[in-house]
Amino acid sequence: MSDIWLIVLLAGILTYLTRIGGHLLIKIVGTLPPRLEAALDAVPAAVLTTIFAPVMVSGDWPERGALVLCGILAFRFPLIGTVAIGAGFVAIARAIL
Amino acid sequence: MLSARKADPAVVSALRDVFPIILAVVPFGMVYGTVAAGEGLTLLQTVGFSASVFAGASQLAALQLVGIGAPVWSVLLAVFALNFRHILYSASVGRHIKHFPKAAKALAFFLLADPTFAAAEARAGRRALSTGYYFAYGLSLYVCWLISSLVGALAGALIEDPAVFGIDFVLPVYFLALVMTFRQRASFWPVASTSAAASIVIYAVIGPPWHVTLGALAGILVAAVMPIENRSVGSPMADEQSAEKAT
Repeated sequence: MSDIWLIVLLAGILTYLTRIGGHLLIKIVGTLPPRLEAALDAVPAAVLTTIFAPVMVSGDWPERGALVLCGILAFRFPLIGTVAIGAGFVAIARAIL
Repeated sequence: MLSARKADPAVVSALRDVFPIILAVVPFGMVYGTVAAGEGLTLLQTVGFSASVFAGASQLAALQLVGIGAPVWSVLLAVFALNFRHILYSASVGRHIKHFPKAAKALAFFLLADPTFAAAEARAGRRALSTGYYFAYGLSLYVCWLISSLVGALAGALIEDPAVFGIDFVLPVYFLALVMTFRQRASFWPVASTSAAASIVIYAVIGPPWHVTLGALAGILVAAVMPIENRSVGSPMADEQSAEKAT
């Protein structure tokens, strides 16, 4: 077996473990205390924020500008509209700058 | 609801919800397929990696490490670190799919990607999360991920530079817009701003992929220590309002 297939197999197993692991941990702990419940409710916002926020340091001015712009647009526009405008803005800004 | 098995309305709304996400994911899958082909993976390996892992960011990170000749164990460590966030997802989603049959539950966790998690959470805030909704959403995303990986590998050099079209920026904007749909939750702003600040600092100081896990933990910690009574009583309604705006 090549290294690639070994990675395909083991990475798949590891990823599945992360996807079921939290559930198994909670099952062992039993009922959830209110603070843990509050913490879990915050998981979506907390995790997803970390995926885009570092663009403010890793990106250049087009990316930073687009992120700020889309943060404002997201108050009004549907999700897909915000995404399209953001990607378009970045493409144009990169071409100009 | 149960009587309308033929055209389960939950399936219909799942397909409606997943459609814009597929538009965002397909280019990403194609980028992955293109990069994988460039790294010398066969078509079967390219699609097989998508099938086994189903997590684009970690797949791209793995390819990058394979490309610089990193040892297998370090590739696996990067994949694990990058996917560690799923532990938090499954802890949260597990509460909403308790009623799924055992095998369905095992499959549901396999399909627990970022968009599926976000959609399941938003749905569960409004009504009971059904297998119809979950699997219509999760499986169509999975199938599209495999197909777009394949198409990307076949297209090869056609998308030579995704940056020209801003395609590489679709995902950050997508996650930003997705996060904003949760803004009606009481702890949203303290949590999101803490996670944003922490992830930026960790990204700059320690580097990826730890900014994801550690940054998220910082925000979650804030939610855990905030006064409990502060949690919005009507958060499901609030989620529904923002979800309606999003469609």
